[in-house]
Amino acid sequence: MSTTDPIVSKPLHVTVNGIEQPVEDIPEQLMMLDYLNEYRNLTGTRFGCGIGVCRACTVIVDHEDGRSEEIRTCITGAHYFEGKSIRTVEGHATRDENGDVAKLSEVQQQFLDHFSFQCSYCAPGFVNAATVLVERLQREPVPRSQLEATISDALESHLCRCTGYVRYFRAVRAAVLATPGTTVEG
Amino acid sequence: MPQFNQSRRRFLKHSVVAGVSTYVASLASPSFAALFEQDILSPTAQAWRPGTGMKFRLDGIAKVTGSKVFARDIRARDMPHWPDTQAHAFIIRATRCDRRYQGIDLSALEAAGLAPDRVVTAEDMARDNIQVPEYYGPAFFLPAGETPLYLGYPVALCIYHDFARFAVAKARVRAAEDVVVYGEQTPLPEKPPYGAFRYIRVGGDTPYAPDRFSALQETVLYPDFRKRHPVWPQALENGKDSQRAMYHANQLAEQLDMPPDDWLVFEAEYQTPYIDHFAMEADNANCWFDAEAGDMHLVCGSQSPAELVERMAELHSASTFASGRLFLHPTYTVGYGSKDNSIFPYYGLIAGLYGDGHPVRLANDRYEQFQATMKRHPFTIRNRLAVERETGKFQIFKQNLTANGGGRANFSNSVAFVGATAAQGIYYMPNSDLTATAEFSRMPEAGSMRGYGTIQTMAATELMVDEIADHLDMDPFELRLANVFKSGMKNTQGAIPAGHLRGEEILHRARQHEIWTQRAARKQAFEADHPEQRYGVGFACVQKDFGHGAEGVFSEVRLNADGSIEVRNTGAEMGTGYSTSQAAVVAQWLGQPANTVHTAETEWDDLAMTSSGNPYVMSQSEQEAAQTDPRWTPMLQQASSASNSSYYLSFPTIEAARVIFRHGLWPVALEYWQRGIGGGQAAPYVVREQDARWEQGKLTANGMEPLSLAFLAERAHATGRVTGAMAHAFNRWEWSRADYRIDGTSENLPLDGLAVRYGDGASQQKKARMTSKRGFELLTRSNPYFPPTQRNNAGVTYYSACATLVELAVHTGTGEVSLLNHHSFLECGNTIVEELVSGQLQGGLAMGIGHALYEDMPLYEDGPGNGTWNINRYHVPRASEVAVWEQSADILPPLSRTDPPKGIAEVVMIPVVGAIGNGIAHAIGHHFHRLPITPERIREVL
Repeated sequence: MSTTDPIVSKPLHVTVNGIEQPVEDIPEQLMMLDYLNEYRNLTGTRFGCGIGVCRACTVIVDHEDGRSEEIRTCITGAHYFEGKSIRTVEGHATRDENGDVAKLSEVQQQFLDHFSFQCSYCAPGFVNAATVLVERLQREPVPRSQLEATISDALESHLCRCTGYVRYFRAVRAAVLATPGTTVEG
Repeated sequence: MPQFNQSRRRFLKHSVVAGVSTYVASLASPSFAALFEQDILSPTAQAWRPGTGMKFRLDGIAKVTGSKVFARDIRARDMPHWPDTQAHAFIIRATRCDRRYQGIDLSALEAAGLAPDRVVTAEDMARDNIQVPEYYGPAFFLPAGETPLYLGYPVALCIYHDFARFAVAKARVRAAEDVVVYGEQTPLPEKPPYGAFRYIRVGGDTPYAPDRFSALQETVLYPDFRKRHPVWPQALENGKDSQRAMYHANQLAEQLDMPPDDWLVFEAEYQTPYIDHFAMEADNANCWFDAEAGDMHLVCGSQSPAELVERMAELHSASTFASGRLFLHPTYTVGYGSKDNSIFPYYGLIAGLYGDGHPVRLANDRYEQFQATMKRHPFTIRNRLAVERETGKFQIFKQNLTANGGGRANFSNSVAFVGATAAQGIYYMPNSDLTATAEFSRMPEAGSMRGYGTIQTMAATELMVDEIADHLDMDPFELRLANVFKSGMKNTQGAIPAGHLRGEEILHRARQHEIWTQRAARKQAFEADHPEQRYGVGFACVQKDFGHGAEGVFSEVRLNADGSIEVRNTGAEMGTGYSTSQAAVVAQWLGQPANTVHTAETEWDDLAMTSSGNPYVMSQSEQEAAQTDPRWTPMLQQASSASNSSYYLSFPTIEAARVIFRHGLWPVALEYWQRGIGGGQAAPYVVREQDARWEQGKLTANGMEPLSLAFLAERAHATGRVTGAMAHAFNRWEWSRADYRIDGTSENLPLDGLAVRYGDGASQQKKARMTSKRGFELLTRSNPYFPPTQRNNAGVTYYSACATLVELAVHTGTGEVSLLNHHSFLECGNTIVEELVSGQLQGGLAMGIGHALYEDMPLYEDGPGNGTWNINRYHVPRASEVAVWEQSADILPPLSRTDPPKGIAEVVMIPVVGAIGNGIAHAIGHHFHRLPITPERIREVL
């Protein structure tokens, strides 16, 4: 066991769900998941495997050019997100002045309507992955005949132990089809 | 630290155990917003669609928006009265069983400034008299100088008062190989088996004639052990029941050894995989010990909160720590069995005790979860089945199974017994001799897991039946239909199952499905298009028990004057939608779902019920003596497991709602319809209670004016009728019953405890009787009937059936199996929420696919006990591996609207296992006996 490497901290600037977070010193070793869970008390982003396989810890990084991407926070250091803007599962729904959910996002509503999850531990990862997919398809629509394959490609790496994926996939298809401009004929 | 305002809490005192007052937090308490069940559950009105049911899960909005739902989400700062200085802990475990454990060396951590703030070891347990509950066997922590009994045995708990040092230290300990210090080599640990059972049955001349011998009629055999081997009674034809059992066993064995010429005696040994639950919320607990007050506060998810409350109070009380009160905050969770009687929360409790005033969070990472939590029991199953060649009729079934229970006892005996009693699958076995042994090994412990022994034995049976069909050159459906279990026949324990069994109906349906009827043509076409692959179709069908054999359940239903409904129940929300279905089940009697639901409630003092003895093993005379106490029941509360929620846990909820209907709503409806001259609108018609129907949320009967629940509730309250009922029910493969005098009317009900509440306008006389804590009148039962204790030997009486057809392809080069499509048939009585049922089916299929094709681990030194396992090397099925877009299913319509809802959470995962094995046999001509059927094993055959 190494006897060196004391904990070194430095300030972290990050925007979460449109809100600039208070700047505080965060250990360099810390994963983003731990930052969200332990420092921001945003526990909707969940620890599943700790090695980036199950994807329950997925968040969305929004780039300045309008693109978004999924990032696994259990294997990505908090300081990788320095200066970045991310969305977590807590940030998708519209909320009223009391912070209560006023309107779910299309993806969330379809998951709800389709009874897509049981325990829901994996749901945050699926919400983020499906949202990234829908937004991508708005920019880059696919032929309708390729939609199921496109969904499969986008969600294949996300693990669910309860529901066997069926209701997630059908819900994402419904969300895509309910979103104008995501598919073209063919 | 925020001041803790006692008056703000609305804890409900559970009971006093060993001098410790135990409390379960009212999840409706405003002081527990973080655990606030009403924040998790959406208003029912939004989710209810009259006529069709629930539009979405009541917990769905909270879950899909990432709200705090799990214990894993809770931190000290979320608990209003806790200090917000959250501490963290991890466990160090020994990973060798061939050397004596010497101690731990944390010098490297100390040198790096990462020394724990507190280290807890066996010495602390001994000094402070912290004893492991007897159920769990060996001590919490291994004392220095001893050899670990199993791989992954805890040796120390390290507590850190800050997260950063905790996180870095934990990562370093994981990477280090010199933290646990071992000494001299010692022999590998050995212990006698945990237990063994033998069920022998010799049927009569027909399946419906009295048995010549059976466990239900006579006895189950429990052997003695000498040198770790079972010793069975001496065989005597006219001896005691146990000796007669052995006589019959020997007779059956002789027939199998020297069968008639027209019998085929098939023999095979089946091996089942070592499987992790992979519940995505890994085990965790957050505990705060307030030493000054002697109060222990604990947040955790559990399938068995009542067990936790009782055993933790006993543990705490016996320790040297000041003990006064224990507060348990159960949360929504997920487990598939892994959180049923788990030892993990007790380590959380210990962490709290040594937290030096800090709340301590103990949360497994995935490596620890693989290393330490319960697994599915690997079985070795030796089957012999005699079949009459001409007819295909089964004659004698003999099974000898061993269940590897690992190093810490946990339900291993039960899993072995349930596996054996399920082995017959959907078939009638005229004669059977089933032996089940639960064995100790140095493997990390095995325990409760979805399928619970039955996926092991029934999948083997289905593989065996197809192979026998091949031997007999029979169509596998013909063989199944020749032997299918029909209503009124007796199972291998000699019991007649409940109700109508629909396995035969499912066989006929499946046989007509296009996957089966077109298999030859599809095989030809597929293999022409894919010359490197072999196409196969497989089928399997099972019927599985639901329930534990002893079920104790409380439930309370209240109807408020505004028509709103409240339900409290003992069941825990494990992700299955239990809270949603509990809301929905009352609609049968009250016309709409409950507005609020409280789950995992353990405080039921109003019913003043007591229990004694073990419901599974007590004698009839012991039961008869005990039941003279009108408050006695064989079991107070059962865990949420064994697919028991939809039927058993709903049962007293439905009965309580029925009491409110019969003694509250129906009388006021009748009064309304009969008001006015000449008997009002009711007089020209005949209005009977059995004609009552709720239609679109309103009550009508034989043409009467529809009345809303709010209208009726207001009148029931105004006239002081029954508006609330609290009930306890007990089931031992049938329900206990008793007579009750309810508001002047006598009624025999399938309940052994009942209290009622009257409406706001009740007379002073009635109100004077509403003296219980929650304002109920506690009724005293008379003429109680409890199912005879001999019924324990029935093993099973409640079954639901499921079958799956699969289409698959086997790559002849790689040995990989691709699931192309599957179709399932499920019989489940009346569904409460159909979407939840089909979701369970789809999820169960995925888990079964993992069992058949992917999931397995080495048992010992290379297995999960060494702490290096995670899902990079343990394959959980992905969407592409479950035919996610292609799969389909039929949920059989109920026989009528009066069918009970049946437990299906486990049965749904089983037939796909046999179907895949049989499909592979169809594809490549080889019947596998060992699961999972991996590409390596297929390549060996090819």
